[in-house]
Amino acid sequence: SPAMELSPSHFPAARAAAVALGYLRYLRGGPGRGLELRELRRARRQDIDDVGHKYYLELELEDVLDKDRTVNCTAEVLYPLGSKSSAPDVQVALQGELRSTEEADKEFYDHIRSLEKELVAENIPDSHGKVPPELEPIHLLAWVASGYVIWQNSTENTKFHLAQVKHVKQVKRSDEDLQFDYVILLHEMVSQ
Amino acid sequence: LLVDFWINPSAPALPVDVRIPAVSVQSVKAFLESQGIEYSILIEDLQDVLDQEKQDMAESAQRQRSSSSFDFGAYHTLDDINEEVDQLASEYSFVEKIQIGESYEKRPLYVLKFSTGGSNRPAIWLDAGIHSREWVTQASALWIANKIASDYGTDASITSLLDKMDLFLLPVANPDGFVYTHTSNRMWRKTRSKIAGSVCVGVDPNRNWDAGFGGPGASSKPCSDSYHGPSANSEVEVKSVVDFIKNHGNFKAFLTLHSYSQLLMYPYGYKCTRPDDYAELESLGRAAASSIRSLYGTTFQVGTICKTIYQASGGSIDWSYDNGIKYSFAFELRDTGRYGFLLPANQIIPTAKETWLGLKRIMEHVRDKSS
Repeated sequence: SPAMELSPSHFPAARAAAVALGYLRYLRGGPGRGLELRELRRARRQDIDDVGHKYYLELELEDVLDKDRTVNCTAEVLYPLGSKSSAPDVQVALQGELRSTEEADKEFYDHIRSLEKELVAENIPDSHGKVPPELEPIHLLAWVASGYVIWQNSTENTKFHLAQVKHVKQVKRSDEDLQFDYVILLHEMVSQ
Repeated sequence: LLVDFWINPSAPALPVDVRIPAVSVQSVKAFLESQGIEYSILIEDLQDVLDQEKQDMAESAQRQRSSSSFDFGAYHTLDDINEEVDQLASEYSFVEKIQIGESYEKRPLYVLKFSTGGSNRPAIWLDAGIHSREWVTQASALWIANKIASDYGTDASITSLLDKMDLFLLPVANPDGFVYTHTSNRMWRKTRSKIAGSVCVGVDPNRNWDAGFGGPGASSKPCSDSYHGPSANSEVEVKSVVDFIKNHGNFKAFLTLHSYSQLLMYPYGYKCTRPDDYAELESLGRAAASSIRSLYGTTFQVGTICKTIYQASGGSIDWSYDNGIKYSFAFELRDTGRYGFLLPANQIIPTAKETWLGLKRIMEHVRDKSS
């Protein structure tokens, strides 16, 4: 059946956009890049027999560290029919370049490597919404991880947001990679 | 000599206290010594003492809480909020604190009544914090209370509003939950009532109203964050408001604050059909959203609960609407998910300011329709 236009301001479209954003954060986010949805410009839904429901989205994204400009993106989110245990299939195409994070990533890497003890932190943001500036990269890294979790666990009837990083602990490694264990709180939008 | 007895002479061997003017001190001392009368100096310089006392009182008066010293741009504890509620009630003659009931854990439910006279005038209801983790709502409610109180008499709109109608404002609709968000779990949403047969605590107070109770969008599982409770109005926090509004009998508007998502919604949530007053509510909602946007560009989506988010039964504005209160709106304040419930404190006042513009737009309409 043909795709039907959805109101981008209503939740059915916003749910699909949240999945696309989670996927994008997982793909392209990092300690030096936090992708946020500036606006959902257009949304359509197509019911594909024996396959599932497919959403066609036009998104306007911003990097919270580079707020003066935005990047457009198209996304397709397919929720497979009947399957509660299968992650939605997401395809994205960015129309433009995101600001390079090479410098920020290196800064983060060097900083963590320079610490005497493994990094440990909790409640990011805190109860009052504050994130200490030195923890912002760790916070944005949590967006990457939570993006993956949100993408993997979303259905057509869920809308997940990252509510808070409850705890983060750096894992000691013998090689030169950095590893962090996060406990994150996800909020599923039952709020009203 | 102009001595001033503070304890008068009564009988021999009983002491007297006397104040001596500075000029006479030497001669009085000389007289007492010459007569062999023992004396001790209780206060060396009385004026000093009086001066100090005056200064202390002046400093205390300056320190004394006035609403202008309450930091509306910060998050506060329940005790602090209650103190400010008291402060507003004492500072303004037309503002009164009333208690409409008690929470499950026996905390008072305080409502600020704004009334410039009349007898049971048509009234507007405004509540915040029914879901305790939505901290920007209690904070905004306090700013709004202060705004209305302090601008009455100078702001034409507020003045004409309160000259015709009463306003009842419940800044902390769920005090037990609110305390819990401070002491134990910042993300707590529900009440703190014990549920028979369950280890889990609390009922979602916005699924507990008698409007499609127990229907879609509410959970029957006690451990769920949207647990509707054993029965409609089982939560004393909800029942207290229901009883108060029913007993008053003259409410024209019911407005409730939530966060987050930036939405301005009207009934219904428990069913997906449009209310009879759809056209008027949609139009008024859009006007209010426009007012909100005029300040900082913050966009609110407008619509019925069911269309805008999802079907959800047992909600407060559905109950109020079905009970004859036409102007029933639920606001979801900032933001859209970046910080969610953990909205930075520096956004409290901007949020309160823009929200107030939306509320004011609705209240003006209600005022015009109720006179």
